[in-house]
Amino acid sequence: MSGSTVFWYASRATGIVALLLLTAVLVLGILVNRQGRLPGLPRFAVTSLHRNMSLLAVAFIAVHVLTAVLDTFVSIPILSSVIPFDSGYERLWLGLGAISFDLMLAMIITSLVRGRLNRTLWRAIHLLAYLTWPVAFAHSIGSSKDLQHGWLLDLSIACALIVVAAVIWRLASAARQLPRAARVAALLRQHGLHGSRQAPERISR
Amino acid sequence: MTMAPAKGTVNETVNQATGGAARPSASGLPRLLPPIPGVPEDVRTHLARYGGPPYRGGPGLLIGSVEQAGLTGRGGAAFPVHRKMAIVAQARGRKVIVANGAESEPASHKDALLLRAAPNLVLDGLQLAAEAVGASEAYLYVHPGVSHEIMRALAQRYAAGLDWLEVTVFEAPARFLAGQESALVNRLGGGPAVPTFVPPRVTERGLGGAPTLVQNVETLAHLALIARYGPRWFRAVGTADEPGSMLATVHTTSNTQVVEAEIGAPLRTLMPAMQNAQAVLIGGYHGTWLPIDAIDALTLDNKALNEHGAAVGAGVIAALPADRCGLAEAARVVRYLAAESAGQCGPCLNGLPRIAAAMAVLAGSGHHSQVRKDLERWSGLVTGRGACNHPDGTARFVRSTLTVFAPEIALHARGHCSATNRTPFLPLPDRMPLTEDDWI
Repeated sequence: MSGSTVFWYASRATGIVALLLLTAVLVLGILVNRQGRLPGLPRFAVTSLHRNMSLLAVAFIAVHVLTAVLDTFVSIPILSSVIPFDSGYERLWLGLGAISFDLMLAMIITSLVRGRLNRTLWRAIHLLAYLTWPVAFAHSIGSSKDLQHGWLLDLSIACALIVVAAVIWRLASAARQLPRAARVAALLRQHGLHGSRQAPERISR
Repeated sequence: MTMAPAKGTVNETVNQATGGAARPSASGLPRLLPPIPGVPEDVRTHLARYGGPPYRGGPGLLIGSVEQAGLTGRGGAAFPVHRKMAIVAQARGRKVIVANGAESEPASHKDALLLRAAPNLVLDGLQLAAEAVGASEAYLYVHPGVSHEIMRALAQRYAAGLDWLEVTVFEAPARFLAGQESALVNRLGGGPAVPTFVPPRVTERGLGGAPTLVQNVETLAHLALIARYGPRWFRAVGTADEPGSMLATVHTTSNTQVVEAEIGAPLRTLMPAMQNAQAVLIGGYHGTWLPIDAIDALTLDNKALNEHGAAVGAGVIAALPADRCGLAEAARVVRYLAAESAGQCGPCLNGLPRIAAAMAVLAGSGHHSQVRKDLERWSGLVTGRGACNHPDGTARFVRSTLTVFAPEIALHARGHCSATNRTPFLPLPDRMPLTEDDWI
């Protein structure tokens, strides 16, 4: 590859990796929400993985955007990476990319200052993940000829199927969730601690 | 479950202390409890002893005295009272004050006793603090057991024209977390008594979004005395850092009693009948075990206790008799604490039952050394990860159990137990929450 195409290739490659990372982040986020586990990992590690992988994804997206801007083959102004539909080149598809990037920044920033935020607000913004992924996916498929055929198309379809399956699993899991007040008793039974009438207790006073 | 106040309404005619009551000597204890134990006051004996509530005539004026007195919250956290008051006082618009008598520690009886023995002192404090922060709504949050006495006191106060703000009595569910500040606000707002994440703090956005001052009932009783006799009087007992007296619930082999003690009093003086104790639990079920040989040098104040990783909390002191098994006691307590998780935050919901199961294994015989290591690890993992400090408090209790009862753990690992008496010592309620109704 010549010097003039290195940015172009780098941008495409980091974009594809970012799509894979975002898929993983979304699936992990659903797992965190449902308090699920990964084999061999404690629950808190799933949360850490979700957080770290989202930061990694943002790093890849930063490189993806920067290399696309630096590449001289087509002219993409830096501002069009955050301002939707600002680019002359592929106005619609790059616009979707800018939207998903903005949504991601909102989620990352609110998560970094989560301790100072109202939890409802944080959650509302974090729910934007379910909008961010499809928008980012549309950006990927629409703006990249690479993803429109061959094994990269298969990979994209696989990502989409995984996300759809994860979302269905999340909804089903939420639907069969025990009411809040009954969860602890169920877990205590699971650990062999049956209620509190198991042993004779002296009642206070 | 709200009960309309029997009477009790706005009455601004009383602005001055009724006077006539002699100023009690500063060092004289008890300050809060009636001079003759077991004889509850009514409004007449209360007025004869203390006079009426000395209203200042406007908001803000009492807060300086409370700051000079150095009054801290007696609900367990020992947070400076004037700071919370100042935050609420600064806010504009509708403001709420709540007297918290929901004493959720099964081993603590001091708030229930105070509400029975001296309800008028608590209600004076509620009115005075309400005036000081400019509150427009006042609530008293108590367990059903004492609401009858409270209603009677409120009716008498109405007749005597003592109150300027109507007080609504609200009953708390019998849950460990029911008195936690955000759980209390949720309950008063009509929901279950479960904690929510801070921020926002209830002093900024509490009941219905209004800035809400929540103070323990004992704290308010002290405040009522500070308003009458001043900060210097208040500081005549206690230490410089932690002035005043406090109520403590002391459990020994022979009995359980509530005592009013000077802060900084030697722990020994509170437990004369503890010669055959093996360890002392300080601060309740979120508290810390202390080995018996550490007790002689210790005093009832956070400065001394913090050095041993302990705190006075809400003043529960339990001297475990030598013939009981500390591990069996701790396992029962941790199972109770696990069952009292609100079931909201993952580390608490998942971690506490697991910790409780491991504690049960430890209290049995012939366990593997890995159990102890797991407990230490899990205690670290649940700490600081909940909306409230329930996992943290439980982890603290577990850790001190592992330290103080290490010899007993080694004994159990070999299939023995030093206890000769299997009767449970630490008091626990017998009903765990199963449905949402148990939280309201």
